[in-house]
Amino acid sequence: MISSIAPSTARMTKREIITAVLQGQQPDYTPWSFRFTQEPEAHLCQHFGCEPEDLLAHTGCHILELGSPIGFFEDIGNNRFRDVFGVVWDRSQDKDIGLPENQLLAEPEDLGNYTLPDPCDPRFFADIKRRTERYPDRFRLFTLGFSLFERAWTLRGMEDLLMDFIEEPDFVHALFEKIADYNIAQVKEALKYDIDAVYYGDDWGQQRGLIMGYDRWKEFIYPQLQRMYGVVKDAGRFQFIHSCGDVDELFPDLIDIGLNCFNPFQPEAMDVYEIHRDYRDRLSFWGGLSTQSTLPYESAATVRAESRKLLEMGRAGSFIFSPSHSVESDVPFKNILAFIEEAHAQPAAAGQI
Amino acid sequence: MNPLLDSVAQAIMACNRKAAKVATQAALDASLDAETVLAALMRGMEDVGQRFKANRIFVPEVLVAARAMKTSLGLLEPHLVASGVQATHKIVICTVEGDLHDIGKNLVAMMLQGANFEVIDLGTNVSARVVIDAAIEQKADLIGLSSLLTTTMPAMRDTVARIKDSAFNGPVMVGGAPVTERFAAEIAADGYSPSAAYAVDLACRLVAA
Repeated sequence: MISSIAPSTARMTKREIITAVLQGQQPDYTPWSFRFTQEPEAHLCQHFGCEPEDLLAHTGCHILELGSPIGFFEDIGNNRFRDVFGVVWDRSQDKDIGLPENQLLAEPEDLGNYTLPDPCDPRFFADIKRRTERYPDRFRLFTLGFSLFERAWTLRGMEDLLMDFIEEPDFVHALFEKIADYNIAQVKEALKYDIDAVYYGDDWGQQRGLIMGYDRWKEFIYPQLQRMYGVVKDAGRFQFIHSCGDVDELFPDLIDIGLNCFNPFQPEAMDVYEIHRDYRDRLSFWGGLSTQSTLPYESAATVRAESRKLLEMGRAGSFIFSPSHSVESDVPFKNILAFIEEAHAQPAAAGQI
Repeated sequence: MNPLLDSVAQAIMACNRKAAKVATQAALDASLDAETVLAALMRGMEDVGQRFKANRIFVPEVLVAARAMKTSLGLLEPHLVASGVQATHKIVICTVEGDLHDIGKNLVAMMLQGANFEVIDLGTNVSARVVIDAAIEQKADLIGLSSLLTTTMPAMRDTVARIKDSAFNGPVMVGGAPVTERFAAEIAADGYSPSAAYAVDLACRLVAA
């Protein structure tokens, strides 16, 4: 992909700007799209005097996230929530997602008797029409979280699944295939709507390196991603992936199978400036602002300086500015306002707020 | 080396649970000294740890090797008790209050067991009071604290401070994805490990100091 100057962004919608950036064009300003966990979101709503549904109008985020990335939950009391897969999540500490408490696939043999829920549950698509009508100018991203490795470990348990890579490889292949089939069915349904891209979330990284190592990723995960991405590419839409941690060794493989945009782009796990320079003609990045160190621990002035540097980097294209994770409750509110204000302060973005 | 002991070490290095069990039983059946069998197991785990540090193997291999070691230790334990062989050192380990993420802590615990530490694993979401009481009661040589989240790093700071104010006089080591050497120094922890693979070296260094 050859970089080119995008037409003046003053005449473009946010949807068109993100599209141009993903196509390697250089925008007049760096677009942004932020995510917040419950507490910071509530604080922002209070600040702007709005409901959560209206927050997007105040932050000016360019991406409208659709679907239900972590699925649907039933409150079963005592801070426990059961998802549609049957997994019970302990939310006594982490209120946003929690941690699985049960093990649905206690043995590999249990897979034969296990049926995944309906991938085309109407609830995944119920609000697409209403929300795209409310925000018609935003880039439409259908999100699907816990998309493969993560879904597998929620069902089997992290440690058991990791050992299964060695001791029960056929089971892991079968489990991943089943989950990928579920994803593909849901994405095919989503592609019937006027969406721009599909986003899979699946953490493979640690702070340093891959949890399972490259060879196992390539043997077990890559073939399913190839199938999943293929459906999106065949439909002519963009493909996003979210994977926390140090995973940049996978970029060449992911680009080969059609990845367009990588999130969260953590500066503690990779050199974001170097990676952007090396890959921006082939891959775009969404994230970049440090959520492990700068946002919770540094001053608003440091947040502003880091934000400005990233926004400047984004002028070369292939970059969507954001904290490198949903903003957590430990981030001082003045730091949240600092990065929002820096994104808004870009001169060419004046008409986009 | 005795070929039976070599088989024990090789089975651990190969991350093969069944082979480790068979080899350990064979060594015991041949009336080999329990301490030398333990040394062979530890040699296997040391090799696994070295390759993990060098990024030649990854978490799945370490987990399987550690489970293999655990199975073999189960066979060996009555013989070790009978011979009066004890673990070299004792560590109390947990994730800090508010943090339920334990795979990193579990890896460290397994690798320390492989280095003949007695590991008192208090699990997840553990208050400073419980850590201190366990460390004193168990006469631990060392405490290990883990935190995966930036939101639980303040609890790590508080726990270390309270340990330092307590009657427990041993060192405290810390780790976890967002934890840095700078943060560890700031909260006056005695040691920081950037990964589970280095945690064994750190623990050995701290208890030897």
